[in-house]
Amino acid sequence: MLRLTLAQMRRSLGRLTAAGIAIMIGTAFVAVTLIAGAVITRTSYDAVSASLADADLVLLGSRDQGLSAEDVDAVRETDGVAAVDGHMRLWTELSAGTKHAYPDVTTLASDPRLDPQVLLDGRAPERSGEIVLPDRMAERLGVEVGDTVTTERSSWVPADAADADGADGADTAATDGADSADSADGAGAAATDVEGEWVTRTERLEVVGLNDDPTGAFAQTGGAVVVHPEDAERWALDDTMGAPVQYTEAVVALDADADLESVRGEIEAAAPEGAVLRTKDEHAQAKTAELTNGADVFTTIVLGFASIALLVAALVIANTFQVLVAQRTRTLALLRCVGADKRQLRRSVLIEATILGATASAVGLALGIGLAQLTLTVLGGVNLDVPLPATVSVTAAAVIAPLVVGTLVTVVAALAPARGATRVAPLAALRPADAPALTQRRNLPRLVIASLLTVAGVGLLLFAVIGGREMDEVLALGVGVLGGALSFVGVLVGAVFWIPKVVSLTGAILGGRGTSAKLAAANTLRNPRRTAATSTALLIGVTLVAMMSTGAASARTTLTEELASEFPVDVLVWAPRSLSAVAEPTGPADDTSAPTVLDQRLADELDQIDGTAQVQLVTSIDAVVTVEGAEATGPLRVLPAPAARGVLLAPDQAEGLDEDSVIVSQGLAEVLGVESGDVVSLGATTLDRTGGTVPTGESVERTAVVTEFGQGFLATPGTLEAMGVDATPNEMWLRMDADADPVDVVSDIQDALDETTVSVAGAALERVMFQRVIDTLLAVVVGLLGAAVVIALIGVANTLSLSVIERRRESATLRAIGLSKAQLRGTLAIEGALIAGVGAVLGSVLGLLYGWAGAVTVLGVMGDVRLTVPWRDLALVLVVALGAGLLASVLPGRAAARTSPVEALAVD
Amino acid sequence: MDSTTATPSGHAPASGAPAAAAVRARGLRKVYGSGEAAVNALADVDIDFAAGAFTAIMGPSGSGKSTLMHLLAGLDSATSGKAYLGSTEITGLGDKELTRLRRDRVGFVFQSFNLLPMFTAEQNIVLPLELAGARVDPAWMDTLVQTLGLADRLTHRPSELSGGQQQRVAIARALIAKPDVVFADEPTGNLDSRAGAQVLSFLRRSVRELGRTVIMVTHDPSAAAYADRVVLLADGRIAGDITDPTPESVLAGLDALRSLDEPEAAMR
Ligand SMILES: Nc1ncnc2c1ncn2[C@@H]1O[C@H](COP(=O)(O)OP(=O)(O)OP(=O)(O)O)[C@@H](O)[C@H]1O
Ligand SMILES: [Mg+2]
Repeated sequence: MLRLTLAQMRRSLGRLTAAGIAIMIGTAFVAVTLIAGAVITRTSYDAVSASLADADLVLLGSRDQGLSAEDVDAVRETDGVAAVDGHMRLWTELSAGTKHAYPDVTTLASDPRLDPQVLLDGRAPERSGEIVLPDRMAERLGVEVGDTVTTERSSWVPADAADADGADGADTAATDGADSADSADGAGAAATDVEGEWVTRTERLEVVGLNDDPTGAFAQTGGAVVVHPEDAERWALDDTMGAPVQYTEAVVALDADADLESVRGEIEAAAPEGAVLRTKDEHAQAKTAELTNGADVFTTIVLGFASIALLVAALVIANTFQVLVAQRTRTLALLRCVGADKRQLRRSVLIEATILGATASAVGLALGIGLAQLTLTVLGGVNLDVPLPATVSVTAAAVIAPLVVGTLVTVVAALAPARGATRVAPLAALRPADAPALTQRRNLPRLVIASLLTVAGVGLLLFAVIGGREMDEVLALGVGVLGGALSFVGVLVGAVFWIPKVVSLTGAILGGRGTSAKLAAANTLRNPRRTAATSTALLIGVTLVAMMSTGAASARTTLTEELASEFPVDVLVWAPRSLSAVAEPTGPADDTSAPTVLDQRLADELDQIDGTAQVQLVTSIDAVVTVEGAEATGPLRVLPAPAARGVLLAPDQAEGLDEDSVIVSQGLAEVLGVESGDVVSLGATTLDRTGGTVPTGESVERTAVVTEFGQGFLATPGTLEAMGVDATPNEMWLRMDADADPVDVVSDIQDALDETTVSVAGAALERVMFQRVIDTLLAVVVGLLGAAVVIALIGVANTLSLSVIERRRESATLRAIGLSKAQLRGTLAIEGALIAGVGAVLGSVLGLLYGWAGAVTVLGVMGDVRLTVPWRDLALVLVVALGAGLLASVLPGRAAARTSPVEALAVD
Repeated sequence: MDSTTATPSGHAPASGAPAAAAVRARGLRKVYGSGEAAVNALADVDIDFAAGAFTAIMGPSGSGKSTLMHLLAGLDSATSGKAYLGSTEITGLGDKELTRLRRDRVGFVFQSFNLLPMFTAEQNIVLPLELAGARVDPAWMDTLVQTLGLADRLTHRPSELSGGQQQRVAIARALIAKPDVVFADEPTGNLDSRAGAQVLSFLRRSVRELGRTVIMVTHDPSAAAYADRVVLLADGRIAGDITDPTPESVLAGLDALRSLDEPEAAMR
């Protein structure tokens, strides 16, 4: 029997190959996913262990306590310990000219074994005021060995120790904070629990060396600088406001002859409560376990897409085997005549499926491994920040899972056709191989199941859509997904009942007169099950793609509208507020330590950009409004009334703004209990060290005007003057031309502000950002679904070539009675386009509905959802499907046209 | 016409000189394969088939009957020699012209009917006209349907028809475009004798009453007896010619072929 199976496989090699490709793509997908997951895990493992260099042990402080310097010293004094370094979490901003970097800060390791970095050039810092930079960071900052970089540090100086700053670093730190310190209590900062002042100083650091991080220990933060321990400690004390420095971990190198276990026991005994002692490997494993949660989520999601691709492949396979069995009806019947029993026939089909599945899976696996390796090689050449492994590590799971899944899917898909093989009566061998009967048995249970699933699914979906707002968000989403999945399965199960009808109806409408079209339409009806399966395979992919792009389009529109109400202007540029945001009346007009000033010159520069309609300088201070004992604080934006009405996205938000009024946002008006027309008192505030607010300047009486303005208050420059606050503009508001492309304008603005320390936000920017996010996500998802669509198209080609083979005699007859080669090819092209087109149109419609349902369920909490039809995407899907349907018919069409009319006369 | 000299038997063509030959072959040769394995399926055949006549081709299995028919109908290309349909030399035509020719001037009846299963009897009958983009002549259609007794079967699909009915539909399909000649390769091969007899008498009626030309390949002497003339083939050559055949005369002719080893001597 096996010999016979093999012989039959050889005869059907072409068809089996086409089916095999489908399963191959599916398994390659699974393999790549698993390997990529493994690479991610591996990369995180490497990164974790890299930061430990060659440490023997690592002592981890508890989350809330860390390790004190004494704890680290205690470890150092343990017998057998060669070196210990405490690691703390410390970073700083480095500036060189207008360029900035935010590196991790480390100190030189006390033992080479504890040092993950390599010195490339120069030397290690030997005294305070020296620094070693990662070479790529130095390049970015435009500095070399011997140049100077600066860092700005702020430290809290208690009032009774005003001269404390610089005490420990006098020889190096060029303290610039004197001006601010002088003005510290000029305005009478209100008393808090500890009096004092934030003092900013600029330190200069000489670059004495360049290093590299070959193992990617600091890959996540873009590299680490090395400074002298003295500097590191002082900076750490800035951050702790004088409290003792805590280390997050201590890495330990042991003497060569020390016994790991005994040293370990000693350190553990002396370690503070909550601290954990691990070897490097133990630590890497534990850390990776935490990190790979992320990798697992990634793998799970992508495997979801892979399973869709496999499902589609299963449809294609089931189709192929159905036809193979139909074609071998005579052979099978003959076998039955000579004594083969049903079990043997079924086994023969299943063995064939197993061989096909295993072979295709193995090829797919090899393809997947090759693809993954190719990607790694390409990425390796690109020189990413993250060091990737040079070769894929093929785990047992990555090999076994695709093989097993691919083979199983194939065998399961062949089960129904195998049952079909057993139904062949021995008598069939004696009947002339005539045209197969057209009548299909009505499959009542199938119809019932399909209807039930569809109805139940739609019900759940509607429940989620309509009731979603009253429900818990996650619950609504869950119900919606369940409903969507159920109804979709129902639609797919029922496809055999309605898809062929739709196909032939479409064919009848489209090809009323042409003989080719008529033949094509009639042909699609001949085997409804196969037509349905082929269309369905495509329908799955198209539905999901259409759903995603509809959801994305709806999300885009909805979020755009939401943002318009959330952000007052298109683009908002602001300078970071130093901790003393409001310059005091007696203070200097300009803070010299702030590198970027928002002035008219910069405003004019932005105004020059194509697409900006208006640029307005705005002063923003913290303000407090009091009325009848109620008090509310919020940002007070100051700009002339006409300018406000011009630049705001909704000009009526500034309606009623004049010298005697202040615009109050609705939210704050509610807090205050004020209405338009009420008189309120308005004053400036400043922050104290605890983050509390302290009033400053004069309080003025103004008439409140409550508008839709989003946040805080709006007033005119006159009001600001009356408040006795002399602040410089620290924001710019921009309005864009209505027809400008936000992506272009925003990136132009960002370019113009590239070398400054200002930040950019605003409706347009957010719009661009979320649009990028949505578009990227959409592209990724569509790319992942692409595999399913490609498999489905292979299915279309497969079905068409099977039709060609099956209808050999018919094609020859048609040729004999006068069908031209072109007409014959045309018939197949129309058939392919019909099957693919109907799958694509129905998929688009279904996807549109599901996309809307999803958008309403997910976005409903945000307010009104705009249902959008992504016409461009849908048209693209249609064109691709139709084109592919036509393309799929090319090879089968050629084969059919080669059929000689003589074959019509052949008897079997 | 010099078919007389060309026939090895030296026999004169049937019943005097026909008005015109519908189909002619001159020096027609077909070789399958090459070298050692070459098979001379047809060896320099010269023959005329009269218009308005029903001719049967007979001969032992492998004698080249089907090959001759394929070449005459333009379904296959000759190795050398010429075949004419009326005044058109078909041996020199390309696929496009041959397709047009088959569409307009040739009809086929196959042993296994070869109806399209998804179309009704009527749709099958008018298919050649549809392919040609021509209109159905209702009177001719009616004549065919009446003559072939298909009036109450037109809306049935092939799977709902008996073999004899299917073959009658196939004959109607072959005649609908009023072709110059209808070729039939063992049209009764898949039918029982009663249905076969019916089909044969329809073929004969279509010649006698409808004025068509029919060339039929058959193995059955009693089928051949329905024809006006029987051409005998042996080893790729014309080996005999029987006018107004009866089952007995045909059998005798075939026996004569079998009793002789040398093809050259196959005459009577
Ligand atoms: N495609 C082919 N390739 C090679 N040889 C062929 C081919 N077709 C026919 N032949 C050979 O040509 C010769 C004539 O074949 P043909 O089919 O014309 O015989 P036939 O008289 O129709 O026989 P039958 O009565 O069995 O149908 C035979 O010897 C046959 O083997
Ligand atoms: Mg033959």
